[in-house]
Amino acid sequence: MFLALSALIVASAVFALEAKELIYGAIGLGISLIGVAGLFILLGAEYLAMFQIAVYVGAVVVLILFTIMLVRRESGRIVDEEEPTSFGRAGTFVAALVALAVGGAVILLAPISPAAPEFYRVQLQELGRSLASSYAVALVILGLVIGATVVGGLTLVKIEREEKPSGTT
Amino acid sequence: MALGSWSLLAIFELVIFITTFPLLAFGWLMGAKGKNPIRDAPFESGQTRLGEARLRYMMQYYPYLIMYVAFDVVAMFLFTWGLAFASLPFAQGYLFLVFVAILAVPLGYALYLSGRRDLW
Amino acid sequence: MVTQLQGLPGLQELINSVLKIITSRTFLEIVVFPGFLNVLLSAAFLTWLERKVIARVQLRIGPLYAGMWGILQPIADGIKLLFKEMILPELADAKLLMLCALGLMMLAAAPIVAIPFGEGLVIANMDVGLVFVFAVLSLFPSVVLLIGWGSNSKYSFLGGLRSLFQQVAYEIPMWLSVLGIVMLTGTLNLTEIVRAQQKVWFVIPQILGFAVFFTAALAELERTPFDLPEAETELVMGWMTELSGAAFMVGFLAMYTKLYVMSALITTLFLGGWSGPLIVPEPLWVVLKTFLVAGVIVIIRGTFPRVRVDILLRTGWTRLLLLALANVFVTVIIIWLGFGWVWRV
Repeated sequence: MFLALSALIVASAVFALEAKELIYGAIGLGISLIGVAGLFILLGAEYLAMFQIAVYVGAVVVLILFTIMLVRRESGRIVDEEEPTSFGRAGTFVAALVALAVGGAVILLAPISPAAPEFYRVQLQELGRSLASSYAVALVILGLVIGATVVGGLTLVKIEREEKPSGTT
Repeated sequence: MALGSWSLLAIFELVIFITTFPLLAFGWLMGAKGKNPIRDAPFESGQTRLGEARLRYMMQYYPYLIMYVAFDVVAMFLFTWGLAFASLPFAQGYLFLVFVAILAVPLGYALYLSGRRDLW
Repeated sequence: MVTQLQGLPGLQELINSVLKIITSRTFLEIVVFPGFLNVLLSAAFLTWLERKVIARVQLRIGPLYAGMWGILQPIADGIKLLFKEMILPELADAKLLMLCALGLMMLAAAPIVAIPFGEGLVIANMDVGLVFVFAVLSLFPSVVLLIGWGSNSKYSFLGGLRSLFQQVAYEIPMWLSVLGIVMLTGTLNLTEIVRAQQKVWFVIPQILGFAVFFTAALAELERTPFDLPEAETELVMGWMTELSGAAFMVGFLAMYTKLYVMSALITTLFLGGWSGPLIVPEPLWVVLKTFLVAGVIVIIRGTFPRVRVDILLRTGWTRLLLLALANVFVTVIIIWLGFGWVWRV
């Protein structure tokens, strides 16, 4: 199950990167994120998985799609720069080999038992309690960070808009 | 084990897929096929296509999307708070409301920005 | 070697195992009730109900000829649509459109998995059932946007954008309006939420939350007074304009499936789910209440004018949001006053 999900995540991420149309790239990203939510479910964090879907796939991907659709004037095709050179291909191959070697080494050498590890399923009420008490300061700071993000994002988009002539309705 | 719930969901979705996909395939195969430019043109109540110039006016609602992302994240924390609220000692419950109140400022800014049509 | 070959299951055993699966409770739940057949038949029934009710509201009769009271009308429509040509404009992405229509149907039906139709009669009793439903709902805007965009038509795209903003604007008030229920019951499990309503249904203490949720649900369903994405006088069919034939049937059915599921959700959250005097079996109560809610929604469609898009968005983000927060405050007061025990599971 884990393998199937990870394969899905990686495959759709690769698809997202390689797709010629930006829209398909965004869809690939969405599928990849849903796969990540599946991983969360496997780990027992169902609450997180649901909000992962709601926030990432529901909101962030929508934002990306909207931006692609409205900001790009052309149909959204990416112009292929050059064909990958043989040097580029070799480099990619080596990088993949290195990643595989390191990953394999970690998996084989680290003391992980074949059985699924025991994970602690967080009780949601406990989560709420600890958020309000021990992590209260972090929460307030988080609120400020989110607020700053929003204001910043809005300011950025606004400035871009102001440069363009407001000739439309 | 809760994992069973998700498998059941997957099976359910599979059932829906298995029943809906043939409908689409059937429609795709069975429908008459004819290609002529008039039939293939997008629907415009009789006019010919003019272009895509008019779609920028929805950009003024862009702040709403950003607020949606922000409040989506906030909702996650808010639900954990709601779950634990009844069992919380007095003061801690209300600190959360400070958290929400902080976000009123960006919300107001976003609403203000989306109201000014000259910026978009 | 020979014995290995003879280890293949005989035909009789195969039939037996298939029979066992078919009659297993899980399978029955998923496929018949409250699962697939329930959803399909209810959605089709709702198309008929809508046409009849709106007809009566408009002082006419509605479907009459297909079977008694026109009850077979949805089937007639379905068969007709299957055989129509799927006209797709040039440059429109046919595969994407059909895939998205399929996705719409799968998304619309998904929440039924967590909605309880009786004590223990739920396909998948999720501990996070409530947020599961919300997560599924949040996936709709992107699919609709893709359909609008993939149609490569100004009308469709505009409808898709409007639908996107409408749904996005009203999702947050919807989530917040349920926060009160979560505070009172301390669980996200829909079965538990229904159980908690044994004494008093949530529609009473959470009247504000109910109003907000109902309004937000109307917006999510794109129904009047919020059906701007489908405004027939303006955008033809909004984002569904370029779907034709079987794709349209699937999309259309998906919209009514969503109506059914949302009505069932409202019943579960606010109207007590399966509770009711036992003269009628429990699941029937759920179905009755659900159709009651759906009927009210249909009547509202026939009665109210349409809301303009910028007013619609602004109201969702300001007034409805504030009302939902007010509901949270009311709930805080209720708990503070010590009434929380009424809904303790």
